[in-house]
Amino acid sequence: MSLQKLRIGLVCPYGWDTPGGVQNHVRDLAEYLIAKGHYVSVLAPVINESAIPDYVVSAGKPISIPYNGAVARVLFGPIAFSRVRHWISDGNFDLLHLHEPAIPSISLLACWAAEGPLVGTFHAAAKRQKAIFAIGPILEPVIEKLTARIAVSEAARETLTEHLETDAVVVPNGIYADLYRDGEVRAEWSGNTLGFIGRYEEPRKGLSVLLEALPIIARFAPDVRVIVAGPGDSQDVRDEIDPQLRHRFEFLGRITEKEKADFLSSVALYIAPNTGGESFGIILAEALAGGAAVVASDIPAFDSLLGGGEYGALFQSENPQELAKVVIDLLRDADKRKSLAQRGKVYAQRFDWDVVAEDIFSIYEMALVGGKGVTLSSENRAWNRFLGREGN
Amino acid sequence: MEKFLSIALVVIFIIWYLSYSATRLDRLHHRVETSWANLDGLLQRRAAVALEIAKSDIADPASALLLTAAAHQARDAQMQTRSQAESGLSGALGLLLNDGHLVDGYIEKDLLRELSELTDKIRVAIAMHVDAVTRTQMVRKKPVFRIFRLAGSAPLPVTYEFEADVL
Repeated sequence: MSLQKLRIGLVCPYGWDTPGGVQNHVRDLAEYLIAKGHYVSVLAPVINESAIPDYVVSAGKPISIPYNGAVARVLFGPIAFSRVRHWISDGNFDLLHLHEPAIPSISLLACWAAEGPLVGTFHAAAKRQKAIFAIGPILEPVIEKLTARIAVSEAARETLTEHLETDAVVVPNGIYADLYRDGEVRAEWSGNTLGFIGRYEEPRKGLSVLLEALPIIARFAPDVRVIVAGPGDSQDVRDEIDPQLRHRFEFLGRITEKEKADFLSSVALYIAPNTGGESFGIILAEALAGGAAVVASDIPAFDSLLGGGEYGALFQSENPQELAKVVIDLLRDADKRKSLAQRGKVYAQRFDWDVVAEDIFSIYEMALVGGKGVTLSSENRAWNRFLGREGN
Repeated sequence: MEKFLSIALVVIFIIWYLSYSATRLDRLHHRVETSWANLDGLLQRRAAVALEIAKSDIADPASALLLTAAAHQARDAQMQTRSQAESGLSGALGLLLNDGHLVDGYIEKDLLRELSELTDKIRVAIAMHVDAVTRTQMVRKKPVFRIFRLAGSAPLPVTYEFEADVL
């Protein structure tokens, strides 16, 4: 990375202390850039202001709105806008990096208020969003201020082209591939095991699809077991499981990074039956890096992350029969499973933060050419030009 | 009185809107200029690296001649012939590097790494520039911008055939 030390402002649209892929991405990126010696300030909505790291500046408490099939905790309004303006004018930034600037959030407000080198990252991959179509003409002049656009996947890029008629460079979300490279195989998790990681109580994570597929799988693989890791109240979920299948389930609760690495090395297949609302699918990148053979639903984000099935098997989303078919096929054919996992592991290196952050930084450098730092947006620049003054 | 007020409001709104639109267009022109400056700089650096490669052990005398000629052409090209000259350089580099012969020596490996990094960056820079140009062209086609001549005397940015040709 370059020796030049920058002052970088990152804007995270979603509540900092609520779990989510975008928040994790912003946090990791901020910490990576700080470790490289840059000055980084993150502006984000925050619920509990006493528990944030010192590089985060609170923009206020987020409000919950339904968005993209899930509840988004975002923030906007006049008070937030004035905080955004203060943050920009006090920060004296060389560059702003706005995440998800096309949704009503402080990212959009920052894009509105700022001028200079602006980079925007688009995370969402959603087809046919009528809301965006409706406000497209209003967004257009704001979004076109961005010097450079990044999409986290091909699917996100298509969404962007479709809705806002603008192109983007694809840079994926990052993972710390090192953490998952050398997991140990644990006997209690190996065998004909299906792994699942995530907040399994949320319907969109699709555990119910796996539940429906399980009786069919069990007919062909009598010793199949499902191991579920992630926070949640397992008793509620357990009660809903057919008593005949209950003994096949094991709930681990929240696991550590080390356990996650071992988990991914041990399970026969990693299953991601998500039904939607996924912007990138970072867990799949981690599963691949951990050497697991992956079976995932064919929602746009997963399809593009798995290279259309090249690095992990896909099944039609919300179709338990097809999930069962794919799983049985792979459980029976160990060679096929191993070669799939091997291809995936090599491929997953491109999601490592060292690669991803380098790509993002190279885009920063390009955005900085000819810029003189970030300032509050001036609506007078055209007048300056008409009056013959040297405007910028 | 009320009528007068509402007319005044409408006039103020129109003036604000025109000023806002002119500012918007001005920003776009600025984006075109800076993204071009970025792309131009990267292409210049590539030509310089190509000349280094021509002088190094990577190139045999015949390829070296070809490469040197192409690099100089790319450097000296006028705006109209720039795209063609840059594609020529890409072609010359491709001929030399795609025949798969192995390179040893630190300097040579460094040169090749620098070239491949530059190529990646140029690809991104082209995308950024093309986006700025098409955006500007689209906005300038809108009636408001044409009727009120909000572009002033700024020339309409031109698309070069960069996407397909340069790399």
